Amino acid sequence: MSSTIEVRGVHKRYGSTVAVDDLTFTVQPGRVTGFVGPNGSGKSTTMRLILGLDAADAGTATIGGRPFRSLPLPLTGIGALLDASAVHPGRRAYDHLLWLAHSNGLPRRRIREVLGLVGLDGVAGKRVGGFSLGMRQRLGIAAAMLGDPPVVMLDEPVNGLDPDGIVWFRDLARRLAAEGRTVFVASHLMGELEGTASHLIVIGRGRLIADAAVADLLDAASGERLEIRTARRTEVMTMLANAGAVVAATGPDALTVAGLGGERVARLLGDAGLEFAELRRHRATLEEAYMELTRDAVTFR
Amino acid sequence: MTGFARQVHAEWTKLRTVRRWVIALGGAVILSVLLSVFAASASRTDANSDPRIVAGPDGGPVADDVVFAHQRLTGDVTVTAHVVAQADSHEWAAAGIMAKDGTTGGSRYAAIAVTPRHGTRLLADFTHDELAGSGSWLRLVRSGPTVTGFWSADGRTWQQSGIPARLPATVEIGLFVTSPPRVVVERGPGSTAMGELRTEGRAVFDAVSINGTTPRLRVTTVGTSEGMMSQSGGTATVTGSGAMGPNPPPDDVVQVSLFGMLAGVLVLVAVGTLFLTSETRRGLLRTTLTANPHRGRVLAAKAVVLGGVAFGVALAAGVTAFAAAQPLLRDRGWTPPAFPYAGLSDPPVWRALLMTAAFAAAVAVFTLAVATITRHSAATIAGVAALLVLPLIVGSAVPHRAAQVLMLVTPAGGFATQRVKPPTEALVDPTATVSGGWGLAVAVLYAAAALAGAGYVLRRRDA
Repeated sequence: MSSTIEVRGVHKRYGSTVAVDDLTFTVQPGRVTGFVGPNGSGKSTTMRLILGLDAADAGTATIGGRPFRSLPLPLTGIGALLDASAVHPGRRAYDHLLWLAHSNGLPRRRIREVLGLVGLDGVAGKRVGGFSLGMRQRLGIAAAMLGDPPVVMLDEPVNGLDPDGIVWFRDLARRLAAEGRTVFVASHLMGELEGTASHLIVIGRGRLIADAAVADLLDAASGERLEIRTARRTEVMTMLANAGAVVAATGPDALTVAGLGGERVARLLGDAGLEFAELRRHRATLEEAYMELTRDAVTFR
Repeated sequence: MTGFARQVHAEWTKLRTVRRWVIALGGAVILSVLLSVFAASASRTDANSDPRIVAGPDGGPVADDVVFAHQRLTGDVTVTAHVVAQADSHEWAAAGIMAKDGTTGGSRYAAIAVTPRHGTRLLADFTHDELAGSGSWLRLVRSGPTVTGFWSADGRTWQQSGIPARLPATVEIGLFVTSPPRVVVERGPGSTAMGELRTEGRAVFDAVSINGTTPRLRVTTVGTSEGMMSQSGGTATVTGSGAMGPNPPPDDVVQVSLFGMLAGVLVLVAVGTLFLTSETRRGLLRTTLTANPHRGRVLAAKAVVLGGVAFGVALAAGVTAFAAAQPLLRDRGWTPPAFPYAGLSDPPVWRALLMTAAFAAAVAVFTLAVATITRHSAATIAGVAALLVLPLIVGSAVPHRAAQVLMLVTPAGGFATQRVKPPTEALVDPTATVSGGWGLAVAVLYAAAALAGAGYVLRRRDA
């Protein structure tokens, strides 16, 4: 199981709108790769292009080195969830998986297995029309896992899941990655991927903004900033500004400092006799990192 | 299993796992049968009160209207006559020598006769009618069980050919004249008026001999024919009207018992549409294409499944409707001789049922293809239904030729598969203007062309 998703110079335009603009990236096996961007940034289009559903105007997309169309049993090559509501409401959950299994010659045993995997065994005989969005997401994930594929591609899978479901999904995604699979998860909310994805591909308006490990992105967003909590905020701010730092108040007793090292700040505060409750490196959240990136993208334009 | 067989299996699973569709398909059968039974119970025919329809030797409806100058003879016999002149009263008027099993309408016969436009012919038992050649000298020889016709242009050199006839030892034998009526059909909106104009045939015979002697002939006007014989010197002049031959009424008992199939076909149109649009509307087609990216194969698998199901549904509906309607029709005048009893084991009947089922399959596949192109349920159902129903309505209100054209350029002509009788001008129903084979061919052509277009569109279009 060492299948990658490779997207090379893919371009797609609908009428006069450029949906995907010369996009190139590789999704590696063994980890969860987040695919992030605002609504309308081209995530879903990219996924459709990877699956050959839409034809790219230029560029190629391959799965394990092969274009999707050439996979002999596609469900065993890549499992995809594009739209949880793409089910016939009059069909039972079991039957939805049954026709999919028949189409790729998969054994019925797999249906029970994936229903168990997503926790829908109890409602296998129920018609999908009565399912909540969260249940449909689970059914869509079950369908994606039917062929036990080395590559899993999910578009907004957390949408509609309850908090328990989100925890369950994070666990599942990490487990699938730990099994060596390529796990590619699109989301427009960076927070959903926090703690799940170890690698991120960020796009905006069809263009690649970042393709980096989560840790690197966080470091970059954190910069060399420090956080200080002190009851004598005003005095501290004045003193550090005079010493050449860039300071900003973030709360009644909190401020951030940039431009001076941690040791230097600690010594300055000590010398001045200004007590402080806490001095630590600023740690950006994934959300902040993302906002920073997309803001840059907007500025760039 | 090959990729295609897997896809057919998947599509079949899709179709049978949506309960509403299964109910609709069952409903198509029930609706067809109920409507057929209703139509049968509302139909009535008086064809058997028509004196020109009598039971032929095999029980089928025949016309046996002939002026016959004859004498009774037993055993071997040779009759010779020369037709000096024949009036061109009708292209199929006949004058010649006939041996007949009595003068009751519908009795067996063997004959040789001249016609104004179609040469000298050998005739037997209403259904056998064969061109022999030309020559106005005629001879009919009965020797043991065989009957042979002779003809000659000059009375000296003769040609001969056997006539397939089964005659008893004693027959009436002599001269006969027929001249069929001219049929005039007027079509108006929703009705046809069929009139028949009597024509009078006339023929002058000389050199008439039976077993070498001059016969003493007695004239009988068999059936509804009118005419007479006058003799002077060695010549006999015979006039007569009417025709001998198969005379089935244009109404078709199989078609009458399948009246409700139209409703079933319309249900199939709806199911065929939803089978496709339920996928395009919800994005399910994308799921289908991620399970099998070969779009042409996906479409073909859908067509195979839908066509097969439509065939099965229509066959079940047709067989049930036919069987249920027969007893009702028998109580309402649909009886021999005008309408011989028809059963499911009769080849024309099961052929019509199979062709009707094939037509339903073609319509279903056509609908699927149109739905693939339009991706719009209401437009597809309304469009296909209009294409099937409007020609039937318009076709019953226009002249025969226009109705025929309409049936040959729209899939509605496929309803002609429900008829076992040949096309006729005599009915309001426009499907009676073409044969079932042509109607089916047109429908299949529509399905094939639409499917090719759908395949092209599906392959080119972003899903």
